[in-house]
Amino acid sequence: MANRAAGGPDDPAAERSGIDRLAAACRVPAGITLVVATGIYLTLVWQAPIDSVQGIVQKILYVHPPLAFGAYLGFIGTAVGGFLYLWKGDEQFDRFALSSAEVGVLLCTLMLITGPIWAKATWGRWWSWDLRLTVTLILWFIYLAYLLLRSFSEGGSRAARFSSVYGIVGVLAIPLNYFAIELAGGRTLHPENLERGSLGEGMGWPFAMGALTTLIAYGYLLAGRLEVEDLRRRVAGRAAALEGAVGD
Amino acid sequence: MNVLLAVLWKDLLSEWRRRDRVLAMLLFSLLVVAVFHFALVGVSDAQLRASVPGLLWIAFLFASVLGFNRAFALELENDALSGLALAPADPGWIFLGKATANFLLLVVVQAVTAAVFGVAFDLALAPIALRLAGIVALGSVGLTLVGTLFAAVAVRTRYREVMLPLLMLPVLMPVLIGAVQATAALFGGEGVAAGSLRLLLVFDLVYLIVSFLIFEYVLDE
Repeated sequence: MANRAAGGPDDPAAERSGIDRLAAACRVPAGITLVVATGIYLTLVWQAPIDSVQGIVQKILYVHPPLAFGAYLGFIGTAVGGFLYLWKGDEQFDRFALSSAEVGVLLCTLMLITGPIWAKATWGRWWSWDLRLTVTLILWFIYLAYLLLRSFSEGGSRAARFSSVYGIVGVLAIPLNYFAIELAGGRTLHPENLERGSLGEGMGWPFAMGALTTLIAYGYLLAGRLEVEDLRRRVAGRAAALEGAVGD
Repeated sequence: MNVLLAVLWKDLLSEWRRRDRVLAMLLFSLLVVAVFHFALVGVSDAQLRASVPGLLWIAFLFASVLGFNRAFALELENDALSGLALAPADPGWIFLGKATANFLLLVVVQAVTAAVFGVAFDLALAPIALRLAGIVALGSVGLTLVGTLFAAVAVRTRYREVMLPLLMLPVLMPVLIGAVQATAALFGGEGVAAGSLRLLLVFDLVYLIVSFLIFEYVLDE
């Protein structure tokens, strides 16, 4: 970790960057907002009408697509963070990319779990090689590989560069995969649009609240993850400084 | 451009002197043909014909993983990779040199594998050979670009042989889909699948530009 901290009293590693300060400031308010939002959200979902055809299982609607929004947001955050890191060379963007990828993988995993539950109840099978399903699955593979690459790379800046490259290349695969699977005849069983009016009466608000709550959850988890990464960096900086002091 | 040719020449020359990489790839893909033969039990001729395009591309994909891993592992000896990184040349052209060498090796392996497939599974390849070569070339450009880029990454991680397929397979899914679709259409006598070819072309172009620009960050020591 010699490249991280020079040691000494004016150690630059001890300073917090903009993203870290923002994350530290946001975490508690985001947590409180998340609790309030979850309360409102659950109430709305509770009160939402039960689907006349699908029954109670249809309420996954208020969980499953919002998770998808969160997952895609996480992956786009990773690509943007990686791009900014390669461009500016500032480590804080890399920490943002990593944190965003981890939260994205979590939300994507939850989406891939809730999807089959709904599918079994309505389509009659756990899994179908549906267009969106397959694209999301491939995306999930890409970002798991991203996290694996991080843990298998040695050296701070090399791991950051490699994973930034992979994050950018990975996000480019989304539209290409979409096009490819459509070509392969993978029709989608998912509804084509979720515009105003396509949801039944009384379903719009809980759905919108679900999306909002997922976004807040993404922000809260991201802020928490960034704080962990910041603490890790500062501990490493202190340890390096102490080692230097002992060495003198 | 001169850098591209220099790196290409260096790679081809060292391959010619050793001939181990292309032989390993070749032997491996022939083994895969035998494995397929024993794995497909009780499959009718029609079913077999329908799955040959997929099997063919699986063989290509596995062989390329094997070969691309070596492309940069060689550069680690004597720290040649640092030499490449320090060379006063645009890293993009170094990348294209390595990629072109990989592509040419892969093409040799593919040609032999396809011929063996034709014999082993009783396919009439001769009348469609040219069109098949076109599809394979188009698919292999994308395959080589992504594979070469990630090989340079994977070779400097722990478990490098493990890392390359994990990195490249999910990103290469569109190539696999497009190439298999196009090959299947050709074998099925449906002629040229324009959509698939367009997909392969777009993929090749996107990754050509991206990997050319981004290789700098992979090579940089």
